[in-house]
Amino acid sequence: MFHRLLIANRGEVAVRIARAARQLGISPIGVTSTADRDGSWTEYMDEVVCLGPAAARESYLSRERILQAALQTHSTALHPGWGFLAEDARFAALCRQHGIAFVGPSAALIARMGAKSPAKRAMREAGLEVIPGSDGPVDDLETAVAVAEEAGYPVILKADLGGGGRGMRRCDSKADLQAAFNAARAEAEASFGSASVYLEKFLTGGRHIEVQILADAHGNAIHLGERDCSVQRKHQKLIEESPSPALSDAERLELGARAAAAARAVGYQNAGTIEFLRAADGPIYFMEMNTRLQVEHPVTEMVTGVDLAVAQLEIAANRPLTLRQGDVRFDGHAIECRINAEDPSCDFRPSPGKLERFEIPTDRGPGRVRVETHLRAGDTVSPHYDSLIAKIIAHGSDRSEAIATMLAALEGAEITGVETTVPLHRAVLSSDAFASGDYDTTTLPGW
Amino acid sequence: MKLTVEMLARQVEGRVQLLAPGVGLFSDAARPGRILVPGDEAGVLNTLDVPAHLVVPAGVAGRVITELPERVHSPVDYEAVLYELELVGEQLVPEAHADAAALDADGMVVRAHHAGRFWRRPSPDMPFFAEVDTVLTEGDAVGLLEVMKTFNHVLYRATGGLPPRARVTRVLVEDGGEVEDGQALLVVEPA
Repeated sequence: MFHRLLIANRGEVAVRIARAARQLGISPIGVTSTADRDGSWTEYMDEVVCLGPAAARESYLSRERILQAALQTHSTALHPGWGFLAEDARFAALCRQHGIAFVGPSAALIARMGAKSPAKRAMREAGLEVIPGSDGPVDDLETAVAVAEEAGYPVILKADLGGGGRGMRRCDSKADLQAAFNAARAEAEASFGSASVYLEKFLTGGRHIEVQILADAHGNAIHLGERDCSVQRKHQKLIEESPSPALSDAERLELGARAAAAARAVGYQNAGTIEFLRAADGPIYFMEMNTRLQVEHPVTEMVTGVDLAVAQLEIAANRPLTLRQGDVRFDGHAIECRINAEDPSCDFRPSPGKLERFEIPTDRGPGRVRVETHLRAGDTVSPHYDSLIAKIIAHGSDRSEAIATMLAALEGAEITGVETTVPLHRAVLSSDAFASGDYDTTTLPGW
Repeated sequence: MKLTVEMLARQVEGRVQLLAPGVGLFSDAARPGRILVPGDEAGVLNTLDVPAHLVVPAGVAGRVITELPERVHSPVDYEAVLYELELVGEQLVPEAHADAAALDADGMVVRAHHAGRFWRRPSPDMPFFAEVDTVLTEGDAVGLLEVMKTFNHVLYRATGGLPPRARVTRVLVEDGGEVEDGQALLVVEPA
């Protein structure tokens, strides 16, 4: 096992990974920007290297500085967390080039899954259903029109290297497509450095359902069930839960098995997530694969009892998975709420500032509560980085107990100094629409 | 091609500190007693085997009083103190926001409504929202303020003593500069 692990990230995920490292007897080494240097979360690290100024480009996104920090602290492994460089194939390759184990899949696999159409093609070949559309990028208008006719309008043009909801154009007719095609290519070129675009049927609504995968370097791949992340605002996940209220037990097992088989087929290694869209009319389509740990991973941990961050480090150290698919038990129901420093009554305006009170009770019952955060009272929520200040994860014997547990924790939460999304979560969790389990990604139940 | 990088400078209790501009192994340090002036090379910072020759920035001069590091290749992080300089002659380190602060006192200024990063144009290939001589009226965008990865327009508001039509006379914050809540961004006069 590694002796020292460089955690190439900040805040909540850095703390989460440091905890996993300590559990395995690994010394966690942190990095910061000058804006984070005084953050209390850095105390979880055995050593901290300041990378550069607040701007991520010169600190958390500087491949050279991070890698140099790993080398001069004698770290032999690097965990990228999520966001920043977590899905940067060049960074993963650079780590390996310098003899540092990158906690994640190979650079080639990150690159393949990071570009939309190669990922789609690989997963279709691996047996997953994909959204009808072009087989790879479309380079000319004539082909685009032909593909669109076959898939049926409306269609959507997407930049191959796009992401985060950017670089997409919806076309409702042939005339729309003719008007949009060249502009979409030019935009893709300007924004993402490649004019490559692909086309698929435009689907709206539906459920966002994703399957957690663990795969080792010895050909073993298992799934740890699904998470339903359909409560979203502007494509940003707010609440995640497992199991999904939208799937039957038979569907859930089949989806998990197919996802694990697909991961095995593409040669995936480490923890990963395959995201699916369950369309309003029934089919479950592959959307994308995230080649990293996810923000909402604790939901899976709460129902399976598996520590995903620990598993990631063990896999990176070439240990075989000891857990077999048949050993995975799914116990009860878990829900996660992402608490952001945003004002839900003022169009979710960011609300950085100093936390005066910061208490989230974990003992109100009826189920169990886990809080993931890097902050405590007196800390400052920085304006430089994202607004996530805590995740509350509630577990109950069934969905209604999990909801009741979450509501009790939210009712007892006392956070002052910044505005938070706690009121939004309370409204959603106590709504009939959320309780019914019947909603899609375009509606916020209860809000 | 030889890569040179300016060190950062900070004034502390009558002395000047020269700080590491990045992360790496510091070597070839200047010996104690040497007098450093702007443009001098003083040491090398190796990052992933790429050597950057460290240069004394403008406005800084003094005699090195720091002992040589114990190690030939000494690992340093960003803003690590590489040298402390004892002043010889007049101190020249510029005060960063000195003139902005002076202007704050009486000039007509447009201020940031939040701490964050101030962008003067919508994207690097677009023109600035406001430059010297731009005339602003109520609701005109003067820039973008990036807070927690979200971007909001900073709008000109003819309130708090600002005129309905104003001409920009000075821009106080560079494109992409960090600003505090309430920091002055532009100086204007009635147009």
